[in-house]
Amino acid sequence: MFDSSLFQNVIEGIFSAAFLASILRVTTPILLPSLGALISDRAGVINIGLEGTMLSAAFTGVVFSSYAREWFEAETAVIIGPWLGLLMGVLIGVLLASLLALFHLRFKANLILSGIALNVLGSAATVALMYELTGDRGNTKGNLNSMRMPFIQLPEFLDEIPVVSFFFRIFDNQSVMTWIAFIAVIVVWFFMYRTPTGMHLRAVGQNPEAAASVGIRVQRTRYLALLLSGVLAGLGGIHMSMGYLTFFQRDMTAGRGFIALATPYLGGGNPIGTGLASLVFGFFEAIATRIGSLEIPSQLPQMVPYIATVMALVIYALQAQLTVRVRTLRSAEGEGFDAAFWKAVQRLSVLHMLLALTAVVGIIISVSMFSTPDGFGGVDTAIPNAAVIAVISVVLIAINLPFIIQVERIGRLPWWYSAGTSILSLWLYAGIFFTLFLLAISDTVGLSDTLTIVGGLALGLVAAIMLWLRLGGQYLMRTRHYAAPAAV
Amino acid sequence: MKQRRGQFSRGQLALLVLGLVAGLSVVYVISHEVFGGFGSLDTQPDYQAVLFVNALVGISVLLFVLELRWDALRVVLTVIVALIIGYGVTAAFNLDAAARFQRGEFRVQLQSQAEVPDVEEMDLEYGKARGGEFNQQNAPEPLTEASYRFAGREGDTVTIIAAVTRQNIEADLEVALLDESGQVLAESQDSTAEQIEAYRPDLKSTKDAVIENFALPADGVYTIRARPEAIPRSTQISEMLSKTRLAYEAFLLGPLDGVLRWSFWVQDALTLILLGLAIAIVFRAEQFSLGAEGQLYFGALVSGVLILAFGDVPKTLLVPIALLSAATAGFLWGLLPGALKAYLGANELVSTLMLNTIATRFYEMVLTFQLQPEDAGYTASDWFSSAGILDPIVENTQVTIAVFVVIAVVIVTWLLIRRTPIGYEIRMIGANIKFANYGGVNSRRTIMLAMAISGAVAGLAGAHLGMGIHRKLILNISVALAFEGVVVALLARNNPLVVPFTGLLYAYLRTGARFMESDANVSFEVVRIIQAIIILLITAEALVTFFRRRRILRRGTVEIGTSTPPPLPGGGAGVPSDTVGSEEGAHV
Repeated sequence: MFDSSLFQNVIEGIFSAAFLASILRVTTPILLPSLGALISDRAGVINIGLEGTMLSAAFTGVVFSSYAREWFEAETAVIIGPWLGLLMGVLIGVLLASLLALFHLRFKANLILSGIALNVLGSAATVALMYELTGDRGNTKGNLNSMRMPFIQLPEFLDEIPVVSFFFRIFDNQSVMTWIAFIAVIVVWFFMYRTPTGMHLRAVGQNPEAAASVGIRVQRTRYLALLLSGVLAGLGGIHMSMGYLTFFQRDMTAGRGFIALATPYLGGGNPIGTGLASLVFGFFEAIATRIGSLEIPSQLPQMVPYIATVMALVIYALQAQLTVRVRTLRSAEGEGFDAAFWKAVQRLSVLHMLLALTAVVGIIISVSMFSTPDGFGGVDTAIPNAAVIAVISVVLIAINLPFIIQVERIGRLPWWYSAGTSILSLWLYAGIFFTLFLLAISDTVGLSDTLTIVGGLALGLVAAIMLWLRLGGQYLMRTRHYAAPAAV
Repeated sequence: MKQRRGQFSRGQLALLVLGLVAGLSVVYVISHEVFGGFGSLDTQPDYQAVLFVNALVGISVLLFVLELRWDALRVVLTVIVALIIGYGVTAAFNLDAAARFQRGEFRVQLQSQAEVPDVEEMDLEYGKARGGEFNQQNAPEPLTEASYRFAGREGDTVTIIAAVTRQNIEADLEVALLDESGQVLAESQDSTAEQIEAYRPDLKSTKDAVIENFALPADGVYTIRARPEAIPRSTQISEMLSKTRLAYEAFLLGPLDGVLRWSFWVQDALTLILLGLAIAIVFRAEQFSLGAEGQLYFGALVSGVLILAFGDVPKTLLVPIALLSAATAGFLWGLLPGALKAYLGANELVSTLMLNTIATRFYEMVLTFQLQPEDAGYTASDWFSSAGILDPIVENTQVTIAVFVVIAVVIVTWLLIRRTPIGYEIRMIGANIKFANYGGVNSRRTIMLAMAISGAVAGLAGAHLGMGIHRKLILNISVALAFEGVVVALLARNNPLVVPFTGLLYAYLRTGARFMESDANVSFEVVRIIQAIIILLITAEALVTFFRRRRILRRGTVEIGTSTPPPLPGGGAGVPSDTVGSEEGAHV
């Protein structure tokens, strides 16, 4: 179907271990501040100053790790330097966050405006100090001899095992910061959902008065949330300047601190979802770098995660409205209320929205194929392909749209309406996913082409059905009960 | 108490007089500085237009005083405090101002009439010179001291000159002659005017060192040691202060140094005023939309594309259409997050930040793939045709008829907020959205409209950047200008009549910082540090009461009725004192 060289290159490349590894790499500096944004947001004090905090930490890390060469012996400096830089970077992150906390919580300054001030300060102070220290306004290359955070090598024998070797190539030789970032997801999840402080934090964010009335210290919890977000943003900044590079560049975070504000919304407000949302941003950033040729506008894939976030905001808002309606229904029905059924409906509605949303990506791909056919193997192949992709995407949106516009339809129509549309759409995505995955590992296992495609499609169908059932299809099939929710 | 029309209370009269005096003196000072005195006014091109714009500056000062009243004092104080802190920052950056006395290229000359002894492996010999550079900036191992060995015979008369290589190098050198055991035989730190005359052109200044006609005591190898003189602490401090003073002079007076520099200030102010108005409108409705950046990009793009496509259309038609379409583009790009916020409750901060990036990427894409001419070496569109640019009102500057556009927008925005139902609703929502809803305000429609109208103004700012200043579309046409607009709106307390003053003020600081960088070599970023401080100080509402309370606590008495009781420390178990921000941060 796709015989154009560049496009094929991109599609096949997406499932190469090297590309997946690069996704992890570019996700790290988005993921860390995203977790910071998540924590602060859930405590009701969203930290807008992440961008400035990251920049300051990145710069501090470079400065201290390069001065470590002068302060310590050569051998110890190599070991201590990066960690000293990390420590000081995190420290500066905490310092800036506490400045924000002081001004917002103590002096009652507007949170958003003081966050903006922090960004301005971070961006300006780093450039000014860099100019003072190095005489250069662009970057510290060549002047400050910074160090790099260590890379983690996995045991070699894993490369010998067939399927494992594919994953080995993804995770081997990643920066320690990448590991820290993904471990941080679990730590933050544990903190938020399994510790009393985390519960207090969520309570404070949801309803500060109620939290205060049961004895939770609102101010202290918010201080903590802001400081934690400073720590995470500091780590993200360190990765920017010391993860792969060894220098600081002015405004090198390039808006990642602002993306981080959006990922919690894309991820549904929990750490796992935030991690996945960061991967989405990382994926499209990696694609944009990969197709960074002049023939295809790299801006298009760069736009995708932002469009996705705006849509996620819409989904989020629609979900909130649905929650209110279900709550009204619960109070109206009292005993007869079927909580599991409504939860299933809510989850399925998210699924429909996600499926329609993903199809928008298809439309963007086809638009870029139409606009620059040369980049996709010439007019003869690109235009028909683009048309096919566009039609499939429009169909996907069209069949899912009825359930997005009116969520009750999921429950009102017979169960197989929702099942049919969502499983069909899911099958397409999952089928492509598994086919490409099998293609990627086929040379280690030895699969024929037919087997790859058939296997991929079969796996895709199984996955689609499983996912639908798991998300709530089972309740939908079992329950005949339905009552229209009362209008709010 | 309501005043009857035509009657002024004593306080109002005082304010009016104060405003008039302030405004007139500002006009006088600015005009005087820009023209370098009023003596030769006629030789200045378009001096009437400059005076006209200066008069507008004066009017903005008057409005600032009349509208903000005693709050104006707080704004002025905040800016002064921020400037003082900025002075400290500048001084800190100039700690090594005296280092220039230890830095620079030098040459050491060894002169003698005597015959050169035949000794191998020497650094210098009679009639030769060696040189280098002391404390080269950013060098990994800077040279701090130079030693050269030479062979001499007993009775040879030598003259040693250590001098800088160029007149403008300020290094202060000293030189010493050492014998084989390291004993100092002769040394010199400075030279006299006669010596400079005698050894021209080798000696450059009195700071250079010379050892004249020294007779060597014995045969052997001698060492010349040249190095920069140590700088006493008092010199270091005075150097730092004088450099900081010079930098701040360039910062605070630079924009008034001639009509050209003045025009940089005014053109920047025009952009900032438009952006400040855009931000003020949304902030009035308590909507933290930062979408001005994206709306600016769309405004610039749409007007630019129109002008590039219809360059032959007469100017009287093209310019208004381009401006209107820029405003429309901004309006629509503001309508989107407005609708998302109003009807779905989507967080406007996040959505506008996302839409900003989408707009910027889209602009970049169109510019790179559609507008950029084939042979262009860098990413920019063709120049606009003359029909599509705003005419300058001052010759050879970018101070254009945009001045009148800005005046119109200021008046329209003021009328909109103060004199129309929609403006009333915007103010109601900003004051208390629950109360507004209760009073029958259609808050959804109003929020949407407020964000859209703000977008229209931001779109005009984009058109001004394209049609007035750059006269073509360039990459990065705005670098986070929307955030500068936030400062302008914030200083003006979101009052459209005050925005012109704060826009001019902030543009003045920005322009001044540029000249500080070029004239005094102090980083432009100082002004952005000042900006951050201004934002923090002006939004910290409790800072004033905080200091007042501390004073009261120190006195040990609390005057009942003059101060609110301090909240329990750390939030306590009491009801937390909430602010706008905490509600904004909560999930929608």
